[in-house]
Amino acid sequence: MDQIDHLTAPGSTGEEKPAAPRITVRDATRSFVTAGRSAVHAMGPMDLTIGDDEFLCVVGPSGCGKSTLLKIIAGLLAPSSGEVAINVSGEHRIPIAMVFQDYGIYPWKTVRANVDLGLRLTGRPSAERREIVDDWLARLGLTEFADAYPGALSGGMRQRVSVARALAIDPEVLLMDEPFAALDAQLREVLQEELLAIWQARRRTVVFVTHSLEEALLLGDRVVVMSARPGRVIADINVPFERPRTGAVRTDALFAKLRGELRTSLQPQVTAQFDAGKDKR
Amino acid sequence: MSSVLTRRPGAAELHPVRTRRRWTVTKVTLGIAVPVLFVAVWQLIAVLEWVDPFLYPPPSRLGPGLAALWEDGRLVDATVTSVRRVILGYLLGAVAGVVIGFLMGMSRVLRAALEPFSWAWYTVPKLALLPIFLTIFGFGDTSVVVLIAVTVYFFVWISVMSAVMAVPTGYREAALMLRVNRWEMFRHVLLPAALPEIFVGLRIAAGVSVLMLVGIEFVISDQGLGFLIEQGRTLLLLEQSYVAIVLVALIGYLFALLVKLIGRLFVRWRDEDNAIIPS
Repeated sequence: MDQIDHLTAPGSTGEEKPAAPRITVRDATRSFVTAGRSAVHAMGPMDLTIGDDEFLCVVGPSGCGKSTLLKIIAGLLAPSSGEVAINVSGEHRIPIAMVFQDYGIYPWKTVRANVDLGLRLTGRPSAERREIVDDWLARLGLTEFADAYPGALSGGMRQRVSVARALAIDPEVLLMDEPFAALDAQLREVLQEELLAIWQARRRTVVFVTHSLEEALLLGDRVVVMSARPGRVIADINVPFERPRTGAVRTDALFAKLRGELRTSLQPQVTAQFDAGKDKR
Repeated sequence: MSSVLTRRPGAAELHPVRTRRRWTVTKVTLGIAVPVLFVAVWQLIAVLEWVDPFLYPPPSRLGPGLAALWEDGRLVDATVTSVRRVILGYLLGAVAGVVIGFLMGMSRVLRAALEPFSWAWYTVPKLALLPIFLTIFGFGDTSVVVLIAVTVYFFVWISVMSAVMAVPTGYREAALMLRVNRWEMFRHVLLPAALPEIFVGLRIAAGVSVLMLVGIEFVISDQGLGFLIEQGRTLLLLEQSYVAIVLVALIGYLFALLVKLIGRLFVRWRDEDNAIIPS
C-alpha cells in the first residue's frame, strides 16, 4: 500500500470523491479447499473502499484472486475471513448486476428474452419491460437480432446482450468480470467506448476486472493493482482524465506514463505468479 | 516445391437450397433402403435354402401370417392392448422420474438420503419383481403397467438427476445475480439447460419400456404382442411370432421417434444435427 502515493499521478483528484463508500472490503481473505489437498490461499487479506458512483478497475496477474474478489462482492462466494459491506438502497429487488466473461447469457432464450429476464424476475408489467428492453437493445445495436438465439450471434454481439441484460435492471452496483476479454482488439475498443458513454450518461458504482491496463485507464476513475496469489492491493491510483472521456485519451502523454507505471508495478507480480506455478511441478 | 491452398465455395455454398433438398432425399432414401435391404437378404437366404424355411420363415410368408391374425381380430386386439400398456406405464414412470430426478438434482439432502438406496433398486431386474406385483395388483393390465412404470422411472430418474447436476456453475451464478429463487432457477435455468439430456434419457426409456412390455407379456402370457410371440413359438406358428416381432420393432421405433419430435418442440435453440466431424 505504500506505493499509492508514489503511483498517484500528478494532477489526480483524491479530494474529489469524499462521498460515502458504496462498498467496503475489510480484511477479507478467501481460501479454497480442494479434495485431498491443503487449502489454497487465493486472496487477501484485502482492504478496499469503493465510493458511490465510482468506476473502479481491478488489474492483476492471472489467478491472483480478482474474480474471487468480484464473486465475494457479488455474494456468490463468502470470504474465508474478514468482511465485505455493500450499501444498497433496498428499493431494488436486484441491486447488483454482473456481466460474466462467458456463460452469462442463456442459449435457450432469445436475445430479447435474455435482456428481459432480470426485469421479468422483478415482476414489472410487460409493457414497461418491453419499452426498457427495446431501449437497451437499440442502444447496444441489437434491435435487429432481438428474436435470434445467442447461438446465432458473434462473440461481440453476445457480450452486448450480457451488458444489456445487466444494465436493463438499472442496478446500483455493476460488476464486470473481464467482460471483453474474449473479444478481438477492434471490437473491444468499440465496446469499451459504448460502455464509457453509457456509464457517463448514467453513473453508477462499477467494479471492473480486466487484464488490460489500457482498458482500466480508459474506463476507470481509479485503478487497483493486485499482487500475485494470495492477491492483495499493492497499488491504488486515481485516473486523472476529465469526464466525459472518449477513446481519445489513449493518445494522451499522461496515459502512456500511467500505463508505464502500472506495468512496472504489475510486472514482478506476474512473474511471481508464474514462478509459483512452476514450483508446484 | 510450393503449394497453394485454395479455399473456394463448394456445392453447399453455391447452391444451398438444392444441396439441402438433396440431403433430405438422401437421408430418407438411406433410412428406407437399409431395412429394405435387410428384408431382401432375409428373403434371399430363405429362397436359397441356406436355412430351413420352416424354422426361419421368410418375409414372403409373413403376409399370409399377418392376414390370418388380422382376420380374426387378434392382431388389432394385441396391438391395442400392448400400446395401451406401454404408453400408460411409460407416462407414469417418466413423470415420476422427471419429478424425483429434479428434486434430487436440486437437493443435496435428498440425494444423500435417496441415492444409494435408489441405485440399489435400479440394479434389481424388474422382471424379478413380477411375482410380487402379480400378488399385489392381480393378473392383468395393472401389474404390467406398474412394472413398466417402475423400469422407466429408474432410467428417467438417473438421466434427469445427472442432467440437472451437470448444468454449468456459470449459468447458475448468472441466475443468482438476478436474485432468483429456487422455482425461478428451475424454470429459467435448470429445466431448459437439462432438457436436451433429459430427452436423450426419455428416448432410451421409450425403447426400454417396449423391451419390458414384451418381456412381461412373454412371461405372464395373457394378451398383447408379447403373448402372440410366445404363443407362435409354442404352437410352432412361427409366422405369427415374426409378425408380432416386426410390429413390436415398429412400435418401438415410432415411440422413440415421437419422443424425439416432442423433444424438438421444447429444445428449439439447438441445431438439430451439428455433429461435425472430419470427412
